[in-house]
Amino acid sequence: MSTAALNKLIEVARLDPEHVFSAPWEARAFAIALKLSESGLFTWDEFRDHLIAEVRASDRIRARDGTSDHGEYYDHFLRALERLLAEKGIATSNERES
Amino acid sequence: MSGDHHNTDDSGPAARVKALEAILTEKGMLDPAALDAVVDLYETRVGPRNGARVVAKAWTDAEYRKRLLANATAAVRELGFAGPEGGHLVAVENTDRVHNLVVCTLCSCYPWPVLGLPPVWYKSFAYRSRAVSDPRGVLKDFGLELSADVEVRVWDSSAEIRYLVIPQRPKDTDGMSEDELAAIVTRDSMVGVEKIAPPARAGAKRARA
Repeated sequence: MSTAALNKLIEVARLDPEHVFSAPWEARAFAIALKLSESGLFTWDEFRDHLIAEVRASDRIRARDGTSDHGEYYDHFLRALERLLAEKGIATSNERES
Repeated sequence: MSGDHHNTDDSGPAARVKALEAILTEKGMLDPAALDAVVDLYETRVGPRNGARVVAKAWTDAEYRKRLLANATAAVRELGFAGPEGGHLVAVENTDRVHNLVVCTLCSCYPWPVLGLPPVWYKSFAYRSRAVSDPRGVLKDFGLELSADVEVRVWDSSAEIRYLVIPQRPKDTDGMSEDELAAIVTRDSMVGVEKIAPPARAGAKRARA
Protein backbone atom coordinates (compact mmCIF):
# COMPACT_ATOMS: atom_id res chain seq x y z
CA MET A 1 0.00 0.00 0.00
CA SER A 2 1.55 3.20 -1.11
CA THR A 3 2.09 6.18 1.08
CA ALA A 4 1.04 8.36 -1.82
CA ALA A 5 -2.50 7.03 -1.65
CA LEU A 6 -2.89 7.99 1.99
CA ASN A 7 -1.25 11.34 1.40
CA LYS A 8 -3.77 12.16 -1.26
CA LEU A 9 -6.65 11.38 1.09
CA ILE A 10 -5.06 13.41 3.86
CA GLU A 11 -4.71 16.31 1.49
CA VAL A 12 -8.37 16.08 0.51
CA ALA A 13 -9.38 16.05 4.18
CA ARG A 14 -7.16 19.03 4.95
CA LEU A 15 -8.75 21.14 2.26
CA ASP A 16 -12.08 20.81 3.96
CA PRO A 17 -11.65 19.58 7.52
CA GLU A 18 -15.33 19.59 8.43
CA HIS A 19 -16.28 17.73 5.30
CA VAL A 20 -18.35 14.67 6.20
CA PHE A 21 -20.05 13.52 2.98
CA SER A 22 -18.71 13.85 -0.56
CA ALA A 23 -22.11 13.77 -2.23
CA PRO A 24 -25.72 14.25 -1.12
CA TRP A 25 -26.55 10.58 -1.75
CA GLU A 26 -23.93 9.55 0.82
CA ALA A 27 -25.64 11.64 3.47
CA ARG A 28 -29.01 10.24 2.46
CA ALA A 29 -27.81 6.63 2.60
CA PHE A 30 -26.30 7.22 6.02
CA ALA A 31 -29.49 8.79 7.33
CA ILE A 32 -31.66 5.97 5.95
CA ALA A 33 -29.51 3.32 7.64
CA LEU A 34 -29.45 5.16 10.95
CA LYS A 35 -33.19 5.87 10.97
CA LEU A 36 -34.16 2.31 10.07
CA SER A 37 -31.94 0.93 12.81
CA GLU A 38 -33.41 3.41 15.28
CA SER A 39 -36.88 2.25 14.39
CA GLY A 40 -35.83 -1.34 15.05
CA LEU A 41 -35.93 -2.83 11.54
CA PHE A 42 -32.39 -4.02 12.18
CA THR A 43 -29.69 -3.35 14.72
CA TRP A 44 -26.67 -1.21 13.94
CA ASP A 45 -24.51 -4.26 14.68
CA GLU A 46 -26.31 -6.21 11.98
CA PHE A 47 -25.70 -3.36 9.60
CA ARG A 48 -22.05 -3.13 10.62
CA ASP A 49 -21.54 -6.84 9.92
CA HIS A 50 -22.76 -6.28 6.38
CA LEU A 51 -20.59 -3.21 6.02
CA ILE A 52 -17.54 -5.11 7.25
CA ALA A 53 -18.23 -7.85 4.70
CA GLU A 54 -18.37 -5.31 1.87
CA VAL A 55 -15.24 -3.53 3.05
CA ARG A 56 -13.40 -6.84 3.46
CA ALA A 57 -14.25 -7.93 -0.07
CA SER A 58 -12.91 -4.66 -1.41
CA ASP A 59 -9.80 -4.82 0.79
CA ARG A 60 -9.00 -8.28 -0.53
CA ILE A 61 -9.04 -7.00 -4.09
CA ARG A 62 -6.90 -4.01 -3.12
CA ALA A 63 -4.38 -6.21 -1.35
CA ARG A 64 -4.24 -8.64 -4.27
CA ASP A 65 -3.89 -5.97 -6.95
CA GLY A 66 -1.84 -3.52 -4.94
CA THR A 67 -4.31 -0.76 -5.67
CA SER A 68 -5.59 1.93 -3.36
CA ASP A 69 -9.09 3.16 -2.78
CA HIS A 70 -10.22 6.67 -3.46
CA GLY A 71 -13.02 7.27 -1.05
CA GLU A 72 -15.63 4.75 -2.18
CA TYR A 73 -16.58 3.92 1.39
CA TYR A 74 -20.20 4.94 0.90
CA ASP A 75 -20.45 2.62 -2.09
CA HIS A 76 -19.74 -0.19 0.35
CA PHE A 77 -22.13 1.38 2.81
CA LEU A 78 -24.96 1.51 0.29
CA ARG A 79 -24.36 -2.03 -0.90
CA ALA A 80 -24.37 -3.26 2.70
CA LEU A 81 -27.67 -1.49 3.29
CA GLU A 82 -29.21 -2.90 0.12
CA ARG A 83 -28.10 -6.43 0.99
CA LEU A 84 -29.42 -6.20 4.52
CA LEU A 85 -32.79 -4.81 3.44
CA ALA A 86 -33.13 -7.48 0.77
CA GLU A 87 -32.16 -10.29 3.16
CA LYS A 88 -34.72 -9.13 5.66
CA GLY A 89 -37.34 -8.80 2.96
CA ILE A 90 -37.82 -5.15 3.82
CA ALA A 91 -37.13 -3.59 0.43
CA THR A 92 -35.10 -3.80 -2.72
CA SER A 93 -34.16 -0.76 -4.77
CA ASN A 94 -35.68 -2.14 -7.99
CA GLU A 95 -39.03 -3.01 -6.41
CA ARG A 96 -40.78 -0.13 -8.12
CA GLU A 97 -39.63 -0.87 -11.60
CA SER A 98 -42.31 -3.45 -12.29
CA MET B 1 -16.24 9.83 -8.19
CA SER B 2 -14.83 7.37 -10.63
CA GLY B 3 -15.14 4.26 -8.53
CA ASP B 4 -17.32 2.44 -11.01
CA HIS B 5 -15.51 -0.84 -10.75
CA HIS B 6 -18.43 -2.78 -9.36
CA ASN B 7 -20.92 -3.17 -12.11
CA THR B 8 -23.56 -5.34 -10.54
CA ASP B 9 -26.07 -2.48 -10.55
CA ASP B 10 -27.14 -0.63 -13.63
CA SER B 11 -27.90 2.64 -11.96
CA GLY B 12 -25.59 4.91 -10.04
CA PRO B 13 -25.65 5.19 -6.28
CA ALA B 14 -27.66 8.41 -6.20
CA ALA B 15 -30.50 6.76 -8.16
CA ARG B 16 -30.37 3.65 -5.97
CA VAL B 17 -30.58 5.67 -2.78
CA LYS B 18 -33.46 7.66 -4.21
CA ALA B 19 -35.30 4.46 -5.12
CA LEU B 20 -34.75 2.97 -1.67
CA GLU B 21 -35.95 6.12 0.01
CA ALA B 22 -39.08 6.20 -2.15
CA ILE B 23 -39.96 2.58 -1.42
CA LEU B 24 -39.34 2.85 2.30
CA THR B 25 -41.35 6.05 2.48
CA GLU B 26 -44.18 4.46 0.55
CA LYS B 27 -44.20 1.56 3.00
CA GLY B 28 -44.38 3.98 5.88
CA MET B 29 -40.99 2.93 7.24
CA LEU B 30 -39.28 6.26 6.69
CA ASP B 31 -40.12 9.91 7.06
CA PRO B 32 -38.08 12.03 4.61
CA ALA B 33 -38.17 14.96 7.02
CA ALA B 34 -36.51 12.78 9.64
CA LEU B 35 -33.73 12.05 7.15
CA ASP B 36 -33.15 15.76 6.66
CA ALA B 37 -32.84 16.13 10.41
CA VAL B 38 -30.25 13.34 10.65
CA VAL B 39 -28.18 14.80 7.84
CA ASP B 40 -28.31 18.24 9.40
CA LEU B 41 -27.34 16.82 12.78
CA TYR B 42 -24.23 15.05 11.47
CA GLU B 43 -23.25 17.74 9.01
CA THR B 44 -23.50 20.66 11.35
CA ARG B 45 -23.91 19.76 15.00
CA VAL B 46 -22.32 16.44 15.96
CA GLY B 47 -18.65 16.87 15.17
CA PRO B 48 -15.14 17.33 16.50
CA ARG B 49 -16.05 20.56 18.25
CA ASN B 50 -17.71 18.33 20.87
CA GLY B 51 -14.53 16.38 21.45
CA ALA B 52 -12.57 19.62 21.59
CA ARG B 53 -14.75 20.76 24.50
CA VAL B 54 -14.06 17.50 26.31
CA VAL B 55 -10.31 17.85 25.80
CA ALA B 56 -10.22 21.50 26.84
CA LYS B 57 -12.10 20.66 30.01
CA ALA B 58 -9.74 17.78 30.78
CA TRP B 59 -6.80 20.16 30.33
CA THR B 60 -8.19 22.74 32.72
CA ASP B 61 -10.04 20.67 35.30
CA ALA B 62 -7.96 17.95 37.00
CA GLU B 63 -11.00 16.29 38.54
CA TYR B 64 -12.76 16.13 35.19
CA ARG B 65 -9.63 14.65 33.60
CA LYS B 66 -9.68 11.88 36.21
CA ARG B 67 -13.33 11.16 35.56
CA LEU B 68 -12.73 11.14 31.82
CA LEU B 69 -9.89 8.64 32.09
CA ALA B 70 -11.90 6.48 34.50
CA ASN B 71 -15.17 6.46 32.54
CA ALA B 72 -15.21 8.46 29.34
CA THR B 73 -18.81 7.60 28.46
CA ALA B 74 -20.07 9.18 31.68
CA ALA B 75 -17.66 12.12 31.60
CA VAL B 76 -18.62 13.00 28.04
CA ARG B 77 -22.27 12.76 28.92
CA GLU B 78 -21.73 15.37 31.64
CA LEU B 79 -21.16 17.82 28.79
CA GLY B 80 -24.28 16.63 27.00
CA PHE B 81 -22.60 14.41 24.43
CA ALA B 82 -24.13 10.97 23.92
CA GLY B 83 -25.76 8.95 21.17
CA PRO B 84 -25.07 6.20 18.66
CA GLU B 85 -21.49 4.88 18.70
CA GLY B 86 -20.92 6.51 22.06
CA GLY B 87 -22.08 3.72 24.34
CA HIS B 88 -18.64 2.57 25.42
CA LEU B 89 -16.11 5.33 25.12
CA VAL B 90 -12.52 5.15 26.34
CA ALA B 91 -10.21 8.16 26.59
CA VAL B 92 -6.48 7.59 26.12
CA GLU B 93 -4.02 10.29 27.01
CA ASN B 94 -0.89 11.33 25.13
CA THR B 95 2.16 12.17 27.22
CA ASP B 96 5.85 12.82 26.61
CA ARG B 97 6.38 9.04 26.65
CA VAL B 98 3.23 7.66 25.04
CA HIS B 99 1.46 8.50 21.81
CA ASN B 100 -1.95 6.98 21.06
CA LEU B 101 -3.35 6.32 17.61
CA VAL B 102 -6.88 5.13 16.80
CA VAL B 103 -7.99 3.04 13.84
CA CYS B 104 -10.82 0.71 12.90
CA THR B 105 -9.23 -2.00 10.81
CA LEU B 106 -12.50 -3.66 9.77
CA CYS B 107 -14.61 -0.74 8.68
CA SER B 108 -14.93 2.73 10.14
CA CYS B 109 -15.97 2.60 13.81
CA TYR B 110 -15.50 6.03 15.31
CA PRO B 111 -16.79 7.87 18.40
CA TRP B 112 -19.62 9.82 16.77
CA PRO B 113 -20.86 11.82 19.78
CA VAL B 114 -17.46 13.47 20.27
CA LEU B 115 -15.94 13.45 16.78
CA GLY B 116 -18.89 13.20 14.39
CA LEU B 117 -18.49 10.98 11.34
CA PRO B 118 -15.01 9.88 10.27
CA PRO B 119 -13.02 11.68 7.57
CA VAL B 120 -12.28 10.00 4.28
CA TRP B 121 -8.70 8.97 5.13
CA TYR B 122 -9.84 7.18 8.31
CA LYS B 123 -12.03 4.90 6.21
CA SER B 124 -9.39 4.29 3.54
CA PHE B 125 -7.66 0.98 2.95
CA ALA B 126 -4.34 2.83 3.07
CA TYR B 127 -4.93 3.94 6.66
CA ARG B 128 -6.73 0.86 7.95
CA SER B 129 -4.18 -1.56 6.55
CA ARG B 130 -1.11 0.27 7.81
CA ALA B 131 -2.02 1.88 11.13
CA VAL B 132 -1.43 -1.35 13.06
CA SER B 133 1.56 -2.72 11.16
CA ASP B 134 3.39 0.56 10.59
CA PRO B 135 2.01 3.28 12.87
CA ARG B 136 5.17 5.37 12.76
CA GLY B 137 5.10 5.31 8.97
CA VAL B 138 1.46 6.42 8.98
CA LEU B 139 2.23 9.21 11.42
CA LYS B 140 5.08 10.32 9.20
CA ASP B 141 2.59 10.59 6.34
CA PHE B 142 0.65 12.97 8.52
CA GLY B 143 3.82 14.96 9.12
CA LEU B 144 4.38 13.71 12.65
CA GLU B 145 7.75 12.20 13.48
CA LEU B 146 8.02 10.80 16.97
CA SER B 147 11.34 10.20 18.64
CA ALA B 148 12.30 6.57 19.19
CA ASP B 149 11.77 6.73 22.95
CA VAL B 150 8.06 7.55 22.56
CA GLU B 151 5.90 4.45 22.75
CA VAL B 152 3.18 4.32 20.11
CA ARG B 153 -0.04 2.59 21.19
CA VAL B 154 -2.52 1.70 18.49
CA TRP B 155 -6.15 1.20 19.47
CA ASP B 156 -8.31 -0.80 17.09
CA SER B 157 -11.91 0.20 17.62
CA SER B 158 -13.36 -2.80 15.84
CA ALA B 159 -15.21 -4.17 18.85
CA GLU B 160 -17.64 -2.22 21.00
CA ILE B 161 -15.16 0.28 22.35
CA ARG B 162 -14.67 3.69 20.74
CA TYR B 163 -11.54 5.67 21.58
CA LEU B 164 -10.87 9.36 22.05
CA VAL B 165 -7.28 10.57 22.22
CA ILE B 166 -6.58 13.35 24.69
CA PRO B 167 -3.78 15.19 22.93
CA GLN B 168 -1.04 16.97 24.84
CA ARG B 169 -1.74 20.54 25.74
CA PRO B 170 0.73 22.70 23.85
CA LYS B 171 3.21 24.88 25.69
CA ASP B 172 2.57 28.60 26.04
CA THR B 173 -1.14 28.13 26.63
CA ASP B 174 -1.19 28.76 30.38
CA GLY B 175 -3.27 31.88 30.25
CA MET B 176 -5.87 30.56 27.85
CA SER B 177 -9.47 29.97 28.84
CA GLU B 178 -11.28 26.70 28.32
CA ASP B 179 -13.09 28.19 25.30
CA GLU B 180 -9.85 29.41 23.76
CA LEU B 181 -8.27 26.02 24.33
CA ALA B 182 -11.22 24.21 22.77
CA ALA B 183 -10.70 26.32 19.64
CA ILE B 184 -7.18 24.97 19.09
CA VAL B 185 -8.01 21.28 19.54
CA THR B 186 -8.17 19.60 16.14
CA ARG B 187 -10.06 16.54 15.01
CA ASP B 188 -6.89 14.85 13.80
CA SER B 189 -5.22 15.31 17.18
CA MET B 190 -8.11 13.45 18.82
CA VAL B 191 -7.59 10.49 16.47
CA GLY B 192 -3.88 10.66 17.23
CA VAL B 193 -2.45 11.54 13.84
CA GLU B 194 -1.18 14.96 14.79
CA LYS B 195 0.00 17.05 17.71
CA ILE B 196 -1.53 20.38 18.50
CA ALA B 197 0.74 23.23 17.57
CA PRO B 198 1.07 26.10 20.03
CA PRO B 199 -1.28 28.89 18.97
CA ALA B 200 0.32 31.73 17.06
CA ARG B 201 -2.04 34.35 18.36
CA ALA B 202 -1.62 38.00 17.70
CA GLY B 203 -0.91 39.60 21.05
CA ALA B 204 -0.05 36.27 22.63
CA LYS B 205 1.54 36.60 26.01
CA ARG B 206 5.13 36.59 24.97
CA ALA B 207 6.57 36.26 21.53
CA ARG B 208 8.22 32.90 21.16
CA ALA B 209 11.73 33.00 19.81
